[in-house]
Amino acid sequence: MKNTLYTLFAISISLLLGKLAHHLLAGLPASLYGMVIYAIFLQLNWFSAKKVTATNQWLVRHMGVCFVPAGVGVINHFQLIQEHGVALIAIIFSSTFILLTVIGYLSERLLTKPVPNDENSSEGKT
Amino acid sequence: MLTSLVIDFPVLASIAITLITVACYQLAVNQQQKWQTIWLNPMLITITVLVPLLLFVDINYQEYSQATYVLNLMLEPAIVALGFPLYQQLRQIKVHWREIMSILVLGIIVVIIVSFIMAMTFIKAPEIAIALSLKSVTTPIGITLTEQLSGDSSITTFAILIAGLFGALLGPAWLRTIGVNSAKAQGLAIGSASHVIGTAVLVRVSAEHGAYSSVALILSALLTALISPWLIPLLLQLFT
Repeated sequence: MKNTLYTLFAISISLLLGKLAHHLLAGLPASLYGMVIYAIFLQLNWFSAKKVTATNQWLVRHMGVCFVPAGVGVINHFQLIQEHGVALIAIIFSSTFILLTVIGYLSERLLTKPVPNDENSSEGKT
Repeated sequence: MLTSLVIDFPVLASIAITLITVACYQLAVNQQQKWQTIWLNPMLITITVLVPLLLFVDINYQEYSQATYVLNLMLEPAIVALGFPLYQQLRQIKVHWREIMSILVLGIIVVIIVSFIMAMTFIKAPEIAIALSLKSVTTPIGITLTEQLSGDSSITTFAILIAGLFGALLGPAWLRTIGVNSAKAQGLAIGSASHVIGTAVLVRVSAEHGAYSSVALILSALLTALISPWLIPLLLQLFT
């Protein structure tokens, strides 16, 4: 329970700073700034990775439900699909797969070289 | 704002609708764990159950969106929580940051050009072409950029959602088919094509998947914001 509150507190602080960053810098949405700030604070050990692990994993496992309301938003777009027909869906579908292929293929080629093992690299892993 | 919210839609109905949404989602999670198939994706199942249900009981989207206000409120903290897998992989990511940046820049340029040309060829409306070119980023960025370039942002919203669902559901299977098996590559590809919806699905696979997907999500948003304002006007000139 204590760790749950700690995690929620750490996330709230990061999100608030994210909102501030968004306000000052514009650019990314506040939540993405918050994500980066949260990762940095964990890295700097300002937030304890050990204490946030359990609650954070629970949050991340269940976050999908938060996207449902946005997803139900397709209900507003039936007319759009009627108007522009399958072309719209076909373009979204094919360009998404082209992007997946380009990035997936190049990453597989360029990033799977073995990385020199850093002794501290296992720190904080679950 | 808050008072109008309460008056517009009864509290009990709101609670009921939120509970139905969560229950439906949880049921789908249990079924997916039992059958292990992508088609039982909890997000997809919940949406396909809810859309006909809402149409049937005649609740419009605005009312539904107000009723599930709590879920929307949790969206931002949930995205922040993705900072944890990101932190876990920070060291690995730092080693590869040059490659990651180059791959993402190339991917973004390709997807903008391909979407724009396809849209101009088949639909022939610049405002739709602009909207479709900006569909591989997270919603707030996509909308802002579309409006900045005078595209149709309602189409962007729809396209971002569909791209998110497509990539999240079919992406992993497609990548395996073309021989992309590493968590790094799958994460980067799905994070850049399907932004935070893809990341939410992928982070359940492994922390490494989630971390690379989060990196792609953040960098794609930034890079698209930098690239599209000069690339899209260039494409517009070519077609008009």
